[in-house]
Amino acid sequence: MAACSRIGGGGHSMDKSITLPPDEIFRNLENAKRFAIDIGGSLTKLAYYSTVQHKVAKVRSFDHTGKETEDEPLYEISVQEEITARLHFIKFENAYIETCLDFVKDHLVNTETKVIKATGGGAHKFKDLLEKKLKLKVDKEDEMSCLIKGCNFVLKNIPHEAFVYVKHAEPEFRFQTTHPDIFPYLLINIGSGVSIVKVESEDKFERIGGSSIGGGTFWGLGALLTKTKRFDELLQLASRGQHTSVDMLVKDIYGGAYGSLGLTGDLIASSFGKSATADKEFSKEDMAKSLLHMISNDIGQLACLYAKLHNLSRVYFGGFFIRGHPVTMHTITYSINFFTKGEVQALFLRHEGYLGAIGAFLKGAEEDNPNQYSWGENYAGSSGLMSVSPDMFPMQRTRSGTFDMLEMDRLERQLVNLPLLLDSSSYIPDTMDLTEDAMAREYWLSCFEEALDGVVKRAVASQPDLQDARERAEKFRLKYRHKLQTLRHQPCAYGSLTVRSLLDTREHCLNEFNFPDPYSQIKQRENDLALRYFQKVVRSVEMLNWEDRQFALVKGLLAGNMFDWGAKAVSDVLETDPAFGFDEAKRQLQERPWLVDSYSKWIERLKIIVE
Amino acid sequence: MNGYHSPDEGDTETGKEETAGGKQQRPSKESASRTKAADGAENAVAAAAGGGTPRDRLASNSRTRQRIDSLKKNRPPFPWFGMDIGGTLVKLVYFEPKDITAEEEQEEVENLKSIRKYLTSNVAYGSTGIRDVHLELKDLTLCGRKGNLHFIRFPTQDMPAFIQMGRDKHFSSLHTTLCATGGGAYKFEPDFREMADLQLLKLDELDCLIKGVLYIDSVKFNGHSECYYFENPTDPVQCQKKPYNLENPYPLLLVNIGSGVSILAVYSKDNYKRVTGTSLGGGTFLGLCCLLTGCSTFEEALEMATRGESTTVDKLVRDIYGGDYERFGLPGWAVASSFGNMMCKEKRESICKEDLARATLVTITNNIGSITRMCALNENIDRVVFVGNFLRINTLSMKLLAYAMDYWSKGQLKALFLEHEGYFGSVGALLELLNPT
Repeated sequence: MAACSRIGGGGHSMDKSITLPPDEIFRNLENAKRFAIDIGGSLTKLAYYSTVQHKVAKVRSFDHTGKETEDEPLYEISVQEEITARLHFIKFENAYIETCLDFVKDHLVNTETKVIKATGGGAHKFKDLLEKKLKLKVDKEDEMSCLIKGCNFVLKNIPHEAFVYVKHAEPEFRFQTTHPDIFPYLLINIGSGVSIVKVESEDKFERIGGSSIGGGTFWGLGALLTKTKRFDELLQLASRGQHTSVDMLVKDIYGGAYGSLGLTGDLIASSFGKSATADKEFSKEDMAKSLLHMISNDIGQLACLYAKLHNLSRVYFGGFFIRGHPVTMHTITYSINFFTKGEVQALFLRHEGYLGAIGAFLKGAEEDNPNQYSWGENYAGSSGLMSVSPDMFPMQRTRSGTFDMLEMDRLERQLVNLPLLLDSSSYIPDTMDLTEDAMAREYWLSCFEEALDGVVKRAVASQPDLQDARERAEKFRLKYRHKLQTLRHQPCAYGSLTVRSLLDTREHCLNEFNFPDPYSQIKQRENDLALRYFQKVVRSVEMLNWEDRQFALVKGLLAGNMFDWGAKAVSDVLETDPAFGFDEAKRQLQERPWLVDSYSKWIERLKIIVE
Repeated sequence: MNGYHSPDEGDTETGKEETAGGKQQRPSKESASRTKAADGAENAVAAAAGGGTPRDRLASNSRTRQRIDSLKKNRPPFPWFGMDIGGTLVKLVYFEPKDITAEEEQEEVENLKSIRKYLTSNVAYGSTGIRDVHLELKDLTLCGRKGNLHFIRFPTQDMPAFIQMGRDKHFSSLHTTLCATGGGAYKFEPDFREMADLQLLKLDELDCLIKGVLYIDSVKFNGHSECYYFENPTDPVQCQKKPYNLENPYPLLLVNIGSGVSILAVYSKDNYKRVTGTSLGGGTFLGLCCLLTGCSTFEEALEMATRGESTTVDKLVRDIYGGDYERFGLPGWAVASSFGNMMCKEKRESICKEDLARATLVTITNNIGSITRMCALNENIDRVVFVGNFLRINTLSMKLLAYAMDYWSKGQLKALFLEHEGYFGSVGALLELLNPT
């Protein structure tokens, strides 16, 4: 059923007040416009659009004449102020809604905003409060269409948005490479009931079915059976329980497996089947576990039947029943695997909780054509996925509900797949997945951590005229170090962890504190040197015969790449030997055969072309 | 080994177990006794069973004669039983021959006679065994014999007591084949063998189920139709039970709702597949009802459900949208979230047990309905026969299923029911005894 986020019956008291740090939670409110809100049974998601002004380092007046005056740089860099669009999404507990609305009102400068788009089960309940506090007209949007719009948006714009969950695996999250074509797919939204929606294109979707046995059944029936009130507590109980004392298994009936049907003995034949005859009391944990299995299996089975009927293989699960809970992700995954014999994978979304808010926002922001642009997750401003295991991080689990953020920056250009790729869906740009390779992860995290001092120094040096540079650089240091620490504990926090994403995170953090490019001056100097040297190299290469020339070019290519390693190895060399240059780098190259050496083949092919 | 045997029966008993291929590496002393027992197995059994009184020896002779007589006519000796041992209930069918000749009567073993008298003159056995008198099939001709078919059930929990009775009544001396199906045929087989010296003929439960359904439907229910449906299922006032002619039954979706649920697609007499199943079945209804209301029997749970109101417990579409959710064609009365109102503390405190029982029944029934409907669509079958003991005295669920099938399929699917609800497996087992395949 469609009641995806109307949960709990709303017994929250409204008097909880907290002090909100303006730099961290509702950022850039001064330029905010186009508000949207998704109020669920326990969490509120606020969305708005804002612009951020930040510095950009740009090349100016490139000298094409190639004159060789020693003291004047070949190009100049100018730092400009630029304005880019940013989407802000903030998730917080309903208990803080009043405080948050007050805060937003106090910091809102833009007076153009007249309307707030609202969705979710609580939109109706909080309508008056919203209008009173924000002085904005509440414009309600259909929950399901918001959800789908939001889902399309994250699937299109966020790489590694979808993942499969593998309990006990390292890592537990397996991120999926973004398929260029996201349609068609099935979205199973498990709120208090279950809605099964088939999405065929940006504008075309259909609710093809549903079930009344959903999160509300787990919560309601669970509360009756165990006298435990909170949903999270029920999940905690379930994760500690044993269902075999409550459920009737195949082996309880058969004494073993039902071999001719291939039903194993441990299969549940009848959920709660033992509770009619047992003379003992069951533990709360065991009943909660049995209930969880019953509901997860049932949803999984229906999902499979619908996927089969409509011939769909991409099935995403969302709703408050799933929302980052490893326990339910595991039981749903198990059920899907069982019923489809592995043919369909249960997929989950990193930003599942934001879908409704994103969708409502997009509906209100159509003038700005957000769907025409590409948007990128800002790693500096986003909280990332929270703890994977409630047992390991019980505190984080509860905190994750307090304030969670997603920020997305509008990219300068629309991103498209490289047309030269043979198969863009199977192309993985990163050679190493640090979420899977623990040793490599440790190496690179340490590497970036050790390089941090140097980066801070460079950042300060890059803005000698600005007095607050040192202070901002220190803030950057804190933020980036914190990100690295988070990633050490939760490598999957921002999708697949790669060297590229570590560099991106660093860049986002630097930008956040207005350091567009700490290396710009070094780059300028080195580029200058390189460009001067370039003519000489070209001339010397030209003098070689054809075959020697090819070899020289390839060696140059490899030596050049050595510099581009950018990593510790090269910077160590440069620190100890400032004279280390291109010729030295070429001398350091190992003799052929190289590690991967198809040089001879390449030459053969080139010869044919040349002839 | 169990404690039901007196010490002096020990050797024989051990021997039987060993011939059945039991444990290995026994001490040599026991091996010796095994050889002895195996050689004269029949005698040993008779001795163990009868205790060697002259009367029993006489009985033994006539039994042999009767057996030969039956074999000549290509039919097994009496008694004829078919048994289906499920997760919750044991279903037993017993054929009572009514065409016994005076000679036969005279020769009938005391044991056999007493079983016949005991089963046919009582409607309840012990504290939990019940004969469903209203289901009895009269004047049935089976294998050339005329008689009545009796339908008896008791909880699987009481299986040990039943086996014990089989032992006490020296059932093994009758030398009948005990045809059994259901999971319990496997689970209790060692107990039958070790405690009562009875060898079970184990039969696949789905084979038996289909065989039983087709047979009972073909012989009709004492002249009436076995199969029925509900006319006008979406109109509570006009909704009426009507006979249905299942003469040309294929293809057919057969949904067996016992403790759990199995869904079969049947394409012909012996071509079928198990499409899927669900663990949310009759056992779940009763189990949850027991936990939620403190009741202890199916009858109690159903009785409460009949008096209860599920809309206080469930969250309906109209509770969320104020009416129909038109965009998706969901009527306001549809359940949005089963037990959804129970998320709220105040509502948990304001409902009664009857409401909880009703909500449990509605939840389980509707869920079976929707899984069935999806299977019917996937298999492209438009007739569904619901069987199983969950439907016993459960008109509420049957009407709900009839309604759900009709409403959600816009009249494309028909829900059919059979009078002998849960007994088809045991009937199939009995048929296997009479016409072994």
